[in-house]
Amino acid sequence: MKPLDPKLLRTAAPARRYVLLTAALGVITAALVIAQCLLIAHALAPVVDRTADLGDVTHLIGWLAVVLFARVVVSWCQERFGQRAGVEIVADLRAKVVDRAVRLGPRWLDRGHRTDVVTLATRGLDDLQPYLTRYLPQLLLAVTVTPGALMVVLGLDWVAAVIIAGTLPLIPLFMWLVGLVTQEATERRQRAMSRLGSQVLDLVAGIPTLRALRREHGPTQRVRDLSNAYRRSTMGTLRIAFLSGMVLELLTTLSVAIVAVAVGLRLVHGGLDLTTGLAVIMLAPEVYLPVRQIGTQFHASADGIAASAKAFEILETIPEDAAAARRISDNQPSGGRGNRAGRSRHSENSGPRSQVPPLMPSPDLTSATIVLDKVSVAVPGTARYAPHELSVRIEPGTVTVLAGANGAGKSTAVNAILGIISPTAGQIAVCPSETDAPPVDLADIDMATWQSQIAWLPQRPWMRPGTIAENVGFDPDELDPARAEEAAALTGLDEVLTSRQGWNTSIGTGGTGLSVGQRQRVALTRLLLTDKPLVIVDEPTAHLDEGLAEVVVATLTQLRDQGRTVIAITHRDDVTPLADTVVEVCDG
Amino acid sequence: MGEVRALIAAMRLIDVPWTSVIRAITLGTLALGSAVGLGAASAWLIARASQMPPVLSLSMVVVTVRALGISRGLMRYLERLASHQVALKSMGALRTALYERLATGPTGVVSTLRRGDVLARIGADVDHVGDVVVRAIIPAAVSASVSLLSIVAMMLLLPEGGLWLALGLAIAGILGPWLTALGARRAETDSAAARGEVTARSLDLVDHASEMIVTGNVAAAIKSLRTADQRWKDSTQAGARALAAGAAAGTLGLAVAVLGALLAGIPAVTSGRLGEVTLAVVVLTPLAAFESTLVLPAAAIQLHRSGAAALRLSDLLERTGVSPTTDRAAQRATDRAAQRDADRAAQRAEILHHQRNDDHAQSISAASQDREAVIELIDLKVGWSPDTPAAEIGSLRLSRGTSAVIVGPSGSGKTTLLATIAGLIDPIAGTVHTSGPALLTTEDAHVFQTTVLENLRVARGDVDADEARAALNLAGLTPWLTSLPNGLDTMVGADASTISGGERRRLLIARSLVARQPILLIDEPAEHLDRASADALVKDLLSLPARTAGSDHPVEAVVIASHHLGAIDFADQVIRVTAAISQ
Repeated sequence: MKPLDPKLLRTAAPARRYVLLTAALGVITAALVIAQCLLIAHALAPVVDRTADLGDVTHLIGWLAVVLFARVVVSWCQERFGQRAGVEIVADLRAKVVDRAVRLGPRWLDRGHRTDVVTLATRGLDDLQPYLTRYLPQLLLAVTVTPGALMVVLGLDWVAAVIIAGTLPLIPLFMWLVGLVTQEATERRQRAMSRLGSQVLDLVAGIPTLRALRREHGPTQRVRDLSNAYRRSTMGTLRIAFLSGMVLELLTTLSVAIVAVAVGLRLVHGGLDLTTGLAVIMLAPEVYLPVRQIGTQFHASADGIAASAKAFEILETIPEDAAAARRISDNQPSGGRGNRAGRSRHSENSGPRSQVPPLMPSPDLTSATIVLDKVSVAVPGTARYAPHELSVRIEPGTVTVLAGANGAGKSTAVNAILGIISPTAGQIAVCPSETDAPPVDLADIDMATWQSQIAWLPQRPWMRPGTIAENVGFDPDELDPARAEEAAALTGLDEVLTSRQGWNTSIGTGGTGLSVGQRQRVALTRLLLTDKPLVIVDEPTAHLDEGLAEVVVATLTQLRDQGRTVIAITHRDDVTPLADTVVEVCDG
Repeated sequence: MGEVRALIAAMRLIDVPWTSVIRAITLGTLALGSAVGLGAASAWLIARASQMPPVLSLSMVVVTVRALGISRGLMRYLERLASHQVALKSMGALRTALYERLATGPTGVVSTLRRGDVLARIGADVDHVGDVVVRAIIPAAVSASVSLLSIVAMMLLLPEGGLWLALGLAIAGILGPWLTALGARRAETDSAAARGEVTARSLDLVDHASEMIVTGNVAAAIKSLRTADQRWKDSTQAGARALAAGAAAGTLGLAVAVLGALLAGIPAVTSGRLGEVTLAVVVLTPLAAFESTLVLPAAAIQLHRSGAAALRLSDLLERTGVSPTTDRAAQRATDRAAQRDADRAAQRAEILHHQRNDDHAQSISAASQDREAVIELIDLKVGWSPDTPAAEIGSLRLSRGTSAVIVGPSGSGKTTLLATIAGLIDPIAGTVHTSGPALLTTEDAHVFQTTVLENLRVARGDVDADEARAALNLAGLTPWLTSLPNGLDTMVGADASTISGGERRRLLIARSLVARQPILLIDEPAEHLDRASADALVKDLLSLPARTAGSDHPVEAVVIASHHLGAIDFADQVIRVTAAISQ
């Protein structure tokens, strides 16, 4: 765990600016702290010596007021810009992480990374804010104020400087030594903590079940026992874990005391003057303060450091197949389709870009035949393939049904046809209608030209925030309203339109405002209104009642009648009669 | 302020060990007091030493300085141990109380908590409330008592200096944290909507990654996420200004106290009211005293965070029934209403389909009229609550040893009927008679993160291995059980991959079997299963009365609800639920 990860500076532009600003403020703070101590000492010493009164030191107090006011301004700036930068950096990392995750593709997300990404994007990265606004400034004060004040002490009184310089390195040394002892204990405690948390939450999640079984009272004692056991074991480890804090406090405070005594005893013998003595005992605590603050802010920052480490892990994940690699290299400014590139500049992550062969535009799917030849996709973490050696010829204008048991790889096969993932083995070839044109491997086709010819209805269709009209692609200037009404009548969307605000009914982010069934109807209407030659429909009747299933069948019939190529996934019988081809997808 | 009240309520729930809290505060005061004392004693030592007195006259203060240098770290260590002891005790008590309240509270509340992120939120809220003791109450109390002691001591030396210190400490210790808390709260409330939008857009992107890719929308969606983030940033700015003012107040307080001490102290020395050595103490002590206010902004934020967490928890505890106030409940209500509209068309087709089976069911029902009724429904009308749409069920008798299927479109009230038969909700009208307790197993019933055997013992604590095997066998899980690495001791649970959808459903059935309830009610057992698995499971379920007849604890009746029409072929009776009607 690094206190300041260089990756953060490399990845997030706002972070670079913020660190520079904070460093500058750190230098100014150091100067102001030193000036403050010297001014107080110079104003105070002659009065204590009874050689001056208020009139003699007024100018010094005036300057002190200026310095103190400047410190007020600096602390205002630090907090103000810290808060702003915190938000900016979190936002920047969030966009980058989400972008990378989406481009890494559904297979990577489905392998347990989806939750990580969602947690990071919605909550985890927020932990960076306390790190940035609290911990990082202290870190930079420790490299500005601490050495700065120490240098001034050295100039004033080398004995005090030697005492401080002698104890200062002891702090990280002791922290490290104690850390070695406590690290395992701390980790054990954190594991116990999360285990306790999840056990209790598991019981809470099971309350409806326990109650249905009339057994809800039993676990109360268990919750209590778990908490007590956790408390006892935790207190044991805390006794050791807090030692590091104690060592830190002891070293810093004792050093300040030793400096005071050393200065005092030399004053008695006339080896030092009062001004110097006062300045030194005021500066000594200032040398240690940032270091101590780092210690106390450390816990607040640990989560942030962990969250950013996780974010970098995602940003550095190497795409697992060619399709994902191409999507990521597309996002680099020099990676081909520059118009789709984001603002990302980390070119060292582009990896496989150099190996990507030149792409060709997709053949016209109204007439091309798609041939799957023994397509297999490995199931990550197992020796299985789903689908396993799937072969099928999809002629233009036909309906192909992919059937098969749960987990046989139907959706994966569709993902491969869509070009979202690359097959582990086998080939998807596209044969243009001209007899002399050679078949093209899907891997060599520019995905934008391929995917723009496909209309796809996944199990949970995406609703873009906006109106129903925007979602079904209905623009009255371009499309005959009668055709839209006809499509809506077929899918049952017309009832939704009548009961709401027609085509202008708004849909929120994530489809809020519409029921699941209504979203399906919107998505089905969208299929009917596009002119895409290839339509792919995933599990059209899953999660639906039998009524909506009829609508799906009617829609697919209509699509077939329009002469489109249809690929449908189903494990139910109602779509099968429409099919020209039924393929059984098998795993193995 | 709702937050404070919620915190106090949570504290009552916790039964905070106040004597331990006071012990921690005392230790903390000694620790921080040592720091202030060290500042004062050092100042006195230096100023007195400069007058070159005999060294021996300084020995007392030299010892004091050294002792204070040591006592601070030691006291702080003891204080941290004491305060964490309190926090851990509080959190344990809060968890227990929360579990107990939820377990005995109304059914509706807990069923809204099943989602992983909601649960995690509760877990985090408990931790936040527990943290209030260690991170807010104790530091604030320590800071207050050290500040007061410093002010009193200063007053005794030089009253004007004491007033200046009091003013400075008030700015740094009251105004500063107040601004900080205000800023944190402002930033949070102002940005709540923008935050929600950012979260929704992130989720949208991650959940629909494939579709974004296929439609070429990734870059545009990321751009709109950045726009939403920009709005989030803009909305936090007012709060950030208050936070910055809070931070500045901390330094301003120090400035006021130091300048005040100099301006009040120097003339006092000139006029002879104040000794010159004491002047050093008066000027330098404030520098150390302000260390006590350093932790207060963080404490203020913690107080707010814990308060918000306590508010959410108390909200949760106070909620009764199916509350329409939560977003998700409201969302479900619209979903249901919309579904109903959509389902109307479906029913026309379905009624035709059922005509044939109806005749079949009625003939069976007539043939078994002489057998004893296990479930009897008379003029029944069901609904989740009197103000939600109700479903007309009518009258029905179910005899011993028979099975029934409830069919009907989604949202028509199948689950409601099962819950009514199970006695979990009251009928809107009519009556339900059952011959014995009825056990409802829902499709989403919980599989606990423990072993297979312990998951069965959830239903009845004294289930032994043989009984467990017998029940798993009845549920058709013997092949699965033999495939498990550790047999009955294999861990299963939410994230365990050892169990497929169909097996999970069968494990839930096995659990309801060991509960030894005569009537089993099962909701949507075939949901999300492929046709072959669904048919096999439904067939196994509906034959349970026949297969357990003559055993010690026979299943007297099985009722399953399904929109999977294949199920009706295996049932003795079919109960048709038409769409729920608004009253």
